[in-house]
Amino acid sequence: MRVLVVEDEKKTASFIRKALQSEGFAVDVCHNGDEAMSAPSATPYDAIVLDIMLPGRDGLSLVRQWRQSRNATPVLLLSARGSVGERIEGLDAGADDYLPKPFALAELAARVRALTRRGSDNKSPVLRLADLSLDTVTRQAHRAGREIELTTREFRLLEFLLRSAGRLCARTMILEKVWDYDFDPGTNLVDVYIKRLREKIDADFHPKLLHTVRGAGYVMRET
Amino acid sequence: MTIRTRMTLWYAGVLLLSALIIAGLSFKELRERHDNIEEPDDSLQDVIALICWIGIPAVILSIGGGWWLMRRALAPITTLTRAAEGINERNLTQPLPRSGNGDELDRLTQVLNTMTARLHESFTRIRDFTLHASHELKTPLTVLSGETETELRDESLSPREREHALSRLDELQRLARIVDGLTLLAKADAGLLTLNLAPVSLDELVRENFADTQILAQASGVRVELAACEPLSVKGDAHRLRQLLLNLADNAVKYNQQGGSITMKLSRSNGSALFSVSNTGPGVSPTALPRVFDRFFRGDPAHNNEAADGCGLGLSIAQWIVAAHHGEIKIESLPAKLTTVTVRLPIC
Repeated sequence: MRVLVVEDEKKTASFIRKALQSEGFAVDVCHNGDEAMSAPSATPYDAIVLDIMLPGRDGLSLVRQWRQSRNATPVLLLSARGSVGERIEGLDAGADDYLPKPFALAELAARVRALTRRGSDNKSPVLRLADLSLDTVTRQAHRAGREIELTTREFRLLEFLLRSAGRLCARTMILEKVWDYDFDPGTNLVDVYIKRLREKIDADFHPKLLHTVRGAGYVMRET
Repeated sequence: MTIRTRMTLWYAGVLLLSALIIAGLSFKELRERHDNIEEPDDSLQDVIALICWIGIPAVILSIGGGWWLMRRALAPITTLTRAAEGINERNLTQPLPRSGNGDELDRLTQVLNTMTARLHESFTRIRDFTLHASHELKTPLTVLSGETETELRDESLSPREREHALSRLDELQRLARIVDGLTLLAKADAGLLTLNLAPVSLDELVRENFADTQILAQASGVRVELAACEPLSVKGDAHRLRQLLLNLADNAVKYNQQGGSITMKLSRSNGSALFSVSNTGPGVSPTALPRVFDRFFRGDPAHNNEAADGCGLGLSIAQWIVAAHHGEIKIESLPAKLTTVTVRLPIC
């Protein structure tokens, strides 16, 4: 997997590169909009992390150009302005995801990973992890043969976590997908729901499946 | 006492005094003449009759006329006052109407207009400053939190170093939320935010929010009740309205007490949607009440250490969202009893 990072701020570019490299990506960095212009056609990338404010061509016009020339490489936009309008503008221009600055590095990595997996997501109606199963049609959850009662919100939360099993789910990603919030409400809503979900699916069972990654979010995995 | 009344009274006083002097002088004159021709004395009656039939009506008429004249002369001031009263931080660019005849009042209007123009300039400068400041803070914040996270990936970190880095990361995230809130408000002030308006079924949002509030309140043993939820549709931005409801609910939980309760209500009243959240927390003192919507305002710091986790902008953001939907928000509080936030939104 090869990722292109287009970011003019040197320090930011450097830790994004390190983080993505430690996730197993090969990373190329580019500090300038004009340089980045022809990069995706020269090298096939699996994803592009693109800052909006760049010297030379800005991020939005770059995405538009790439999409016009039929390049469909998934793009994650980064922006320091971070307003709803800009998010919509970015997605309209052809970007696939949007992350306002300042962001959690773990979340950036999680989003890039999600982008590179787009389309290959588990589409099976029954999601499984260890002895936990969730039927997305009947909305029934079972663990070790025991049925678990879930509210609608808990079901959606578990579904999202299971679909991204093994990958980090940042709080803001959970808020987006499960609550349809496009803002960080600054409450511990997600944490409280996770706690309840944990009581239902993890408390009486072994091994624990729902893990906290402090300062970043949650992940479901067997160990 | 208004200038008009005061001037009319002075004017009446002067008239009355001159009438008395004239009456006194004519009385003296008549008396002297009378003494000379030695006729029976009825001059006093003459003078009294004169004062009654001519003097008093003349004085009353003059007072009335004087009052009318004052009113006319001062009318432009009244108009100017009314126009000036309508000035607020959002319409500073609209000048007060000038008569253009160059009199004292016209000059005063001109001075006021220059003053509001200067005010507008300062407001804009402060707004731009907040906008730029919150923007400029984002890059160093990104670098700081990114580097802290990179540090945390290092396996060789001692537990103590790891704890320090994690605590730093928590604070950085809080700072990021504050900066986010500031950016949002600065943009709202500058009119840079637009709402995605569409018909939204408010009762659905309220019901969702009610479920979330129940979960949020559970930890502190607070009971949540949905007293009414009439089906209502408003023209609004669903994301912002969700944010509004969650803000209010979150406050009701944070500022409540162990074992307290929260009551939510959505009803129709006079063609508007009325949503209220009441909580049984310690409440807000009457002196602090008018300021709760101010940015970073925290009531009694002794009361809400826990709530200090928030960014201190929740109610300011709520107020902006309501205003952007052409609604009204208000808060009432009976300390130690019941605090209620009420939102009124126009129905579509």
